[in-house]
This record gives sequence, C-alpha cells and structure tokens, in this order.
Amino acid sequence: MLMVGIFLALVAMICLNVPIAVALAVAGVIGLLATEGTDSLVTVALDMYDGSTKFSLIAIPMFVLAGAIMNAGGVTDRLINFVSALIGFVRGGLAMVNIGVSLFFAEISGSAVADVAALGSILIPQMKKRGYSGPFSAAVTSSSASLAIIIPPSIPMILYATSANTSVEQLFVAGFVPGLMGAMGLMFVAYLFARKYNLPVEEAFNTRRLGQTFLDALPAFSLPVIILGGIFGGFVTATEAAGLAVIAAFLVGLWYRQMDLKHLKRAMLDGGMQTAVVMLLVAASVLMGGFLTRAQMPQQLAEWLLDITSNKWLILLILNFFFLVIGFFLHSAAAIILVVPIVIPLIQAAGIDPVHFGLVVTLNLAIGQQTPPVASVLITSCAVARANIWDVSKVNIWFVLVLLTVLLMCTYIPSIPLFLVEYFYR
Amino acid sequence: MLQRINATLQSILEWFLIFLMIGLTIVVIVAVLFRLFGNSLSWYDEVAAIQLSWITYYGAALAALKRRHIGFDSVLLGLPRPARRIGLIVAELIVFSFFILMAWAGMTVLEVLEGEYLVSLTWVPIQFTQSVIPIGACLFILCQALSLPFYWKMTMRGVSLEHAEIEEEVESEMKKAGQA
Repeated sequence: MLMVGIFLALVAMICLNVPIAVALAVAGVIGLLATEGTDSLVTVALDMYDGSTKFSLIAIPMFVLAGAIMNAGGVTDRLINFVSALIGFVRGGLAMVNIGVSLFFAEISGSAVADVAALGSILIPQMKKRGYSGPFSAAVTSSSASLAIIIPPSIPMILYATSANTSVEQLFVAGFVPGLMGAMGLMFVAYLFARKYNLPVEEAFNTRRLGQTFLDALPAFSLPVIILGGIFGGFVTATEAAGLAVIAAFLVGLWYRQMDLKHLKRAMLDGGMQTAVVMLLVAASVLMGGFLTRAQMPQQLAEWLLDITSNKWLILLILNFFFLVIGFFLHSAAAIILVVPIVIPLIQAAGIDPVHFGLVVTLNLAIGQQTPPVASVLITSCAVARANIWDVSKVNIWFVLVLLTVLLMCTYIPSIPLFLVEYFYR
Repeated sequence: MLQRINATLQSILEWFLIFLMIGLTIVVIVAVLFRLFGNSLSWYDEVAAIQLSWITYYGAALAALKRRHIGFDSVLLGLPRPARRIGLIVAELIVFSFFILMAWAGMTVLEVLEGEYLVSLTWVPIQFTQSVIPIGACLFILCQALSLPFYWKMTMRGVSLEHAEIEEEVESEMKKAGQA
C-alpha cells in the first residue's frame, strides 16, 4: 500500500514538472519517514552526498567536456567533408553523410541536443537546398543521432553500468556492432527514399579528394582511436579514456585553430551543467534506492514476474515493451536511474546477461527519444528543419522501424551485441 | 534589479563551475598519466569523487537558475490556467521544502563530522568537503527563487522551457553555420 502511495506521489510530482531528481528524492524521503521515522531525516544529507561521489561516474563530465570541446573546435565541417568524399557518390548522398557523421559524433556525444543542433544546422539547410524535403532531412538527422547513444562513449551506458553494477567497458564494446548495423539499416532506408524521390548524388568518387579530406579530418579521429582502442585493447578504463579524450579534444581544437576562449568557456559550462543535472538524479536515486531496498521491492517484483513466467525471452519482451513506453515519457538518464535498479534483481534471477540487457535498455530509450511527448532530439531536428513534428514523424516511422528491428535482433540473438565482449573480455 | 542579481549570481556560479571542471580535468589527466607510467596516486579516487560532488551541487544551482533540470512539462502545460497556477505553486513548494530539509540535514551532519579528516589527505577536514550539501541546498533555493518569475511567466503563457532552450540552441548554431 505504502509502495503504491509513493509511486503515485512520484508520478504526480513528475506531472507537475517538479524536476525528476527532486521528485525522486522527495519520494525517497516519504519512504524514509514512513519506515524509519523523523529521526532518520538526517540521512538525507548523507545519501545525497554519497550519491554524488560515485567514482565511476567521473567519466561523464570528462566525456561531455571532450564532446563540447570538439563541438566548439571546428571538427564538424571537416568530418562532413570527409564523409561526403567517402559516401557522397551514392544516391541521396547528403542523407548518407548525415548518418555517417552522426555515427562519428556519437563518439563525442555529450548532449544530443547540442550535437543535433551543431550538425543539423550545417547539413539540414544543405539538404533542403539540394531538394530533400524538410521532414525527411529532420527524420534522418533525428534517427541517426538517437542511434548514437548505443555507440561508445555513451552517457546512458555509463549510468546503466553504475545502476546495474556491471562493466561500462563491456557495455561500450557491446554497443559497437549493433550501432554499425543500425547505421547500415538507416542508410538503406535513406537510399530507398532517395531512389523513390530521385534525390541527387553529391559528387563522383575521387580518391585524391578522399585522401585530402581524410588528412584534414585525421586529428579528429584521434578521439575514437583513444576511446575505442584504449578500451577495446584493455589499456585504460572508461574514466581514463575519458580523461585522455579531453586532452585529445583540446589538442585537436588547437590544431584547427578554431578554439577560442569564448568557445572553451561555453564548452566547460555546458559540460559542468549537464553533469550536474545527471548527477543530481543519481544522488536522489540513492535516497529512493535505500527505501526500495528496505522494502525489498525489486525482489518482490522479481518473484511476482517469475511466478508468471520464468522464460527469459518472454521477460525480455515484457521489459522491452516497458522500457519503450518509459522512453516516450522520460529522458534516458532519468529512465535508467529510476527503473534499472528496480529490475536488476529480476534480470539476475532470470539468467539474463546484464551487459546484454544494458544494450537492450539503451536501444529502447534511443527509440523512445523519437516519439513525443519527450523527444528532445526529434524536436531539435524539427526546429532546425523548420518542419512540423507530425510530418517528420510520418517519415521517421521507417527509420524507427530500422531501430526496432535492430532492437529485436539484439534482444533475441544475444551474440550480436555480445560476441565482441566474449572475444575481448571473457 | 532582479535581472542584475540574476546576472551577477549566474556569472559567479559559472566561473566557479568552470574552476571546478578545470580542477577535475587536471586531476583525472594527471592521475591517468601517473597510472600509465606505473605510479598510481593514492589520493586520486577520494579527491576526484569530492570534486564530482562539488560539480554536482554548484552546477545544479546554476541549472536551477537557468531552469535546466530534467522534467516533464507536457501535463502541467496542458492544464487550464487556474489549475496550472495551482500546480506550479505546489511544485515549487515541494522543491523549496526538499532543499530546506537538505540544508538542515547537511548542517546537522557537519556538526557531527567535526574533527574528522579525509583518509588519503589527512589535513583536509571532512567538514570542508561535505559543506557542499548545506551550501548547495541554500544556493539551489536562491537560484530557484530568482528564476521563478521567468518560469511563472513562461508557464502561464503555455511555453515549454525545454522547447525555448532548443530554439535558442538551434538559433545560435544556425548563426554560427551561416557565418562559416
């Protein structure tokens, strides 16, 4: 009964637009009061402090900062030139470029909104000028940017790994193959659209131009080399890779001579504030988590669901549906912090690999970002394209179907996300 | 007057947050380099975790001033104006109450921690590192109060702050792209 009351209070607070971190903390305080009495209220300070000192989450400000510095440092244009030389000869070339660059931007994705705004403001106007419709341009941008959250480094993955007490490095490795599959699927759909609407090719393939643009973009590639190479090779942890990524991003900015102090200041501020927003959620979740543990709620949920079925594929289907719906209404960070600790005992009891499940969760939330009401990536793309959200959504359905297909494949063929993990770590 | 106070506080918090971010970045990079050269720093974990905590609360206050915390405004904005007004007041009261509680609990804990020092840096009092809880809570209250008139105006007009923020980001990037 108490649990239902607290859950309703939490939903009511979220509906009143109380910041989700505060709503979570207040729900935790209500639970604390109900089970331990007023004497325990002093633990609010201890929990809020402990929650904000989770060492593994130091990777978040570092990756966000590296991404923000790269965004401010003139990487975008060079990447677009390189990817354009690489795949611009395909029909619908600019759409392919958009998807290809988004994949790279995934490497430096701190804030999806900032990335989409930075990339979209260059590519979408070009696409429209070349005869692509506004809704199509926005849909390509939005879906490929959302796919980016399963490609390392991914802040939702870092949050999941901390919430589920699993390896963030393994999760990063697990996201690599599904990310590439998703990108190829999105490119295929874009190609079909390009054929149907006779969209233009950009330029003939030219090895010399490819070489030139590659050399120009080469410093920017240091980032994925450090992050993926360092982590895949087992030389560094995710946090260490994040620290090195900041140095690399800074050096790249200096190399391109586009890093001025104003940009750097903004990058630092964006990084700091995004970190604070996510970390306040994490801290608040410790308060709520303490209550849930005392109430044995996650264990009860696990027992209840396992009584209905112990088939792990069916449980995965139920959880897929659940996270997909949650993703419609909550930002990915909030969804992970709220829900993952509750379902983890169920995952363990059902014999599901937590790394596999982590990928399923992040993919679900990526798809959830494509649907209103909470769809900051989609809304940003629409704003850049000056297109109506419903017109964009009608086109975007096809791209979302690709993401759903990748999700189902990753859910039911665990070796797709896990074979690299097995190879490198197990 | 209110705008001037807002701008001053924003500027102070921004520079302090930048200082904290630079500090954390330096500590992480130095620690990584030391570790890669086979000489791990004993104080790294403890100090970096404290820096993260300070970034959390000083950054959270700044985010409150700019109303950037993650929320869900669709339901509130969908309410008729009188109900929206009541909903907004209730929501703000909840936020203020929580941070008043946190400030009080933080002060109580600080009294208990008197005479305690960090494990790795034995000259740093824990009272200093944990002061971020009561100070952060008070700053959050101040920032939430200062940004309330703007939030009130926007919400009563039915404007989503998230959408306004997106528009602002898009506009600045479009301007940048246009200049390039």
